[in-house]
Amino acid sequence: MGKTSGRQTETNEPHWIEWVTGVLSSLLVGAMIGWIAWQALTAVAQPPQLSVTVTQVEKAGDFFRVELDIANVANTSAASVTVMGEISGGDMPAETAEVTFDYVPAQSKSRGGLLFRSNPAGRELKVQPAGYTEP
Amino acid sequence: MADKAVLVEERQARQSRFVAGLLRGGAGGLIFGLPMMMTMELWALGFTIHSARLLLSALLAIPLLFVLAQHMGFERTFTWHEAMRDAIIAYAIGIMTSALILFMLGILKSGMSADEWVGKIAIQAIPASIGALLGRSQLGAERKGDDKEDGDEDGGDGDADDQLSTSYSRELFMMAIGALFLSLNVAPTEEIILISYKMTHWHSLATILVSIALMHGFVYALAFRGGHELSENTPRWHALVRFTLPGYVVALGVSLYTLWVFGRLDDTAWTQILMTTTVLAFPGSIGAAAARLIL
Repeated sequence: MGKTSGRQTETNEPHWIEWVTGVLSSLLVGAMIGWIAWQALTAVAQPPQLSVTVTQVEKAGDFFRVELDIANVANTSAASVTVMGEISGGDMPAETAEVTFDYVPAQSKSRGGLLFRSNPAGRELKVQPAGYTEP
Repeated sequence: MADKAVLVEERQARQSRFVAGLLRGGAGGLIFGLPMMMTMELWALGFTIHSARLLLSALLAIPLLFVLAQHMGFERTFTWHEAMRDAIIAYAIGIMTSALILFMLGILKSGMSADEWVGKIAIQAIPASIGALLGRSQLGAERKGDDKEDGDEDGGDGDADDQLSTSYSRELFMMAIGALFLSLNVAPTEEIILISYKMTHWHSLATILVSIALMHGFVYALAFRGGHELSENTPRWHALVRFTLPGYVVALGVSLYTLWVFGRLDDTAWTQILMTTTVLAFPGSIGAAAARLIL
């Protein structure tokens, strides 16, 4: 390396590997730009569209843990998403719990859980997203 | 008798040079590692990181340090086992430096589980050990002769060296190190994903183009010391295709890997992963370009 002169000159007759790497890289970068550009041109910004599904209910220590997935099918990300859960019905009084997700990215999922004192089994469990902010 | 005295003196000189090398390594580890040691997200990652990903990264650090040691070691490195020794010493310095600093800052406490201690130190040791290796060569007075460097590298296949210009693989490797260094600094922070959520696709496109333009400009247009030139009859786009675009792909790959290790891409859609990666590849590409100038 001609470091003594401070600057170095690239050779005029590169090895074929350099061209192969170069061409593959150009294709990859081109494809990436193409994909994002296509999204930019075709996608219409939709406000976050959130849905919650309960994946599992189990006893965890003194509490009953309701594990949930929150999905955002829109192409805009949501921040500070609150999810409320309520257990009602039966003879006991209703119980509510709440959780806040920092982010639910566009077309992606986040996981979390709600903790209740009473057992949701055999009673009505309602879980719903309650609000969000734009990141 | 005189011979013996000379021998003793020589050994002492060699020892003090080695100790100075270790201390320079520690200094390098601090320069490279401190920003990460003082990042909150990385402390939490010490126990939230997937252990398989942490193990993979800790293992990958060894070949990375090994190749880096072949280019710039603690002592003049000629053989592979000397390079391996240098790599392991650098890793050890990285681990020690991280452990001491994290303990001094009160991030490691006696009440924590062994898992947490090891996790926190293991994450920090990777950038710190890269710093330790680079610190030795960049802060040290006795840099290896540059022609020697080229010599080691083509040791295996001697006739390939006149065909590969400015040793292509070395160039790409150095870009990866530069990209890794700047990416690691910012990848664990929440800002990276937050920025990608705030961006529209147009912002993302602009970031990609600016990253590539800056990378190319850093090395070829602005006449920095250590910059590269093209000979007069080589078209300008040659360097773009042969060096800058592969370099950008390297920066993208490094960004994707660091984000994955830090668990920033889990359950995320492809377009979103792509956009987060391009955000991180922006500092990464500048790191890659800077590495071509500095290292």
